[in-house]
Amino acid sequence: MIEQMERPAIAVRPEEFRQADSGDREKVFELKGVGVDYGDAAAVKDISMDIRRNDVTALIGPSGCGKSTLLRCLNRMNDLIPAANVHGELLYHGEDLYGPGVDPVQVRKLIGMVFQKPNPFPKSIYDNVAFGPRVLGRTESLDVTVEKALRGAALWDEVKDRLSDNAFGLSGGQQQRLCIARCIAVEPDTILMDEPCSALDPISTGKIEDLMIELKEEFSIVIVTHNMQQAARVSDRTAFLMVELDADEDNRWGRLVEYDETEKIFTNPADRRTEDYVSGKVG
Amino acid sequence: MVDAVRVHYQAELEQLEASALGGLELVREQLERTGEAVEQQDVELAQMVIADDDRIDGRYLEVHQSLIALLAKQSPVATDLRLISALLHVLKNVERMGDQCVNVCKLLPLTGNEPPADAELLGRVVAMIQHTRTLASQAKLAFERRDVELARDLVRQDDVVDDLNRECFHLALEIGDDADKREWAMTMLLAARAIERIGDNAVDIGEQVAFVVTGLFKEFEDASHPEQ
Repeated sequence: MIEQMERPAIAVRPEEFRQADSGDREKVFELKGVGVDYGDAAAVKDISMDIRRNDVTALIGPSGCGKSTLLRCLNRMNDLIPAANVHGELLYHGEDLYGPGVDPVQVRKLIGMVFQKPNPFPKSIYDNVAFGPRVLGRTESLDVTVEKALRGAALWDEVKDRLSDNAFGLSGGQQQRLCIARCIAVEPDTILMDEPCSALDPISTGKIEDLMIELKEEFSIVIVTHNMQQAARVSDRTAFLMVELDADEDNRWGRLVEYDETEKIFTNPADRRTEDYVSGKVG
Repeated sequence: MVDAVRVHYQAELEQLEASALGGLELVREQLERTGEAVEQQDVELAQMVIADDDRIDGRYLEVHQSLIALLAKQSPVATDLRLISALLHVLKNVERMGDQCVNVCKLLPLTGNEPPADAELLGRVVAMIQHTRTLASQAKLAFERRDVELARDLVRQDDVVDDLNRECFHLALEIGDDADKREWAMTMLLAARAIERIGDNAVDIGEQVAFVVTGLFKEFEDASHPEQ
């Protein structure tokens, strides 16, 4: 049960994970025939894929292919949409994420999320990061927790002298890193990122990308991005989804076309549709 | 359904491929004249070949620069990326093939006027040049058609060049005691060696064809591990 689930102990150091054969790597998520419907309409169909620990996994595909919908399945954010129905098997560290008795709040504690637009609370920088630990009652050595999270998000040096300032005074890129700090302050196991750089300039984007590479030492990251070069730069594995239409072209849904090592996807993809998409030859 | 996009980029890439492979046509022309210069021991024609190498070098610089710009501006991936990587290799091979023609032609003045040519040895060297012309054409065709089998066949064709090279060596060994004739034979061996390298460059281009098509780079023949 997720309620009793602790953050899994790290059996070996992350760098040893990366040296191991990819097939041996521990799976964080196992999706088997996962689909999402909004009312009668299917949004994504029949997604089967494993997401490995300490990887950055990128979900790419054209608009409407269901990549954000799929991402939101991974921490039960779709529960917040009344008409959404998730079916198929979705295991998190081998446990059914949608099993009876699983508390979605606990799930989201373990699987944090960073959104497209930075969304700090209208509070001080400190209070933003301290928010999660306070809610969880982890108020002991809170200053240490806040500093650790801000350092982890590569923001500490820029804000350490103005922790009591309002978070809205930060730049867009700093706000996004603050949201990442807020996410990691509750010590999640996985971070989901939904186009985290689409509202940022190239310098801020570069900082977030560097951060992802550092964060994956400790966390598993799943990122949705429209920027294919970003997927190529930061991810270890890439999943390409595309839109399928029914015969009448009335209904459309997302389908997983190819999922492989990022290097393979961007140098020698197996599927012609992936090739055309990553090459930018079809819109 | 979906519309094709990035048409200008595609057109530019196709044009650059045509220019790079066009370099093989220039090599073919150079080889034709090099063959004639060797056969006739024609120093004047050899000088023209040397001067015309600037065309191949110019093609190299022009296409190389354009490919680098395309990499920087268009971030090509997948087949396009492999194609550009392969074209950069092809350009280098073409440039080397041109240089080897120059090397052959630079040797001709060393043999002096009316050199004591041995018909049998000279015939082998000229046959090598004719064969490398075929190799250059076949490499170009294999690349244009993305034909891995035709590319692999370059190894077989190159074996003919290698055999002729070995025959040249044995003929030179048995050329006799005449000092001038021995000097001429040694010069022809240097020429044969340069031509033999042109064949190897053509095989290298064939390997790039296989890389573009399959995404895997593997030498057709591993000279350092011939048993594999």
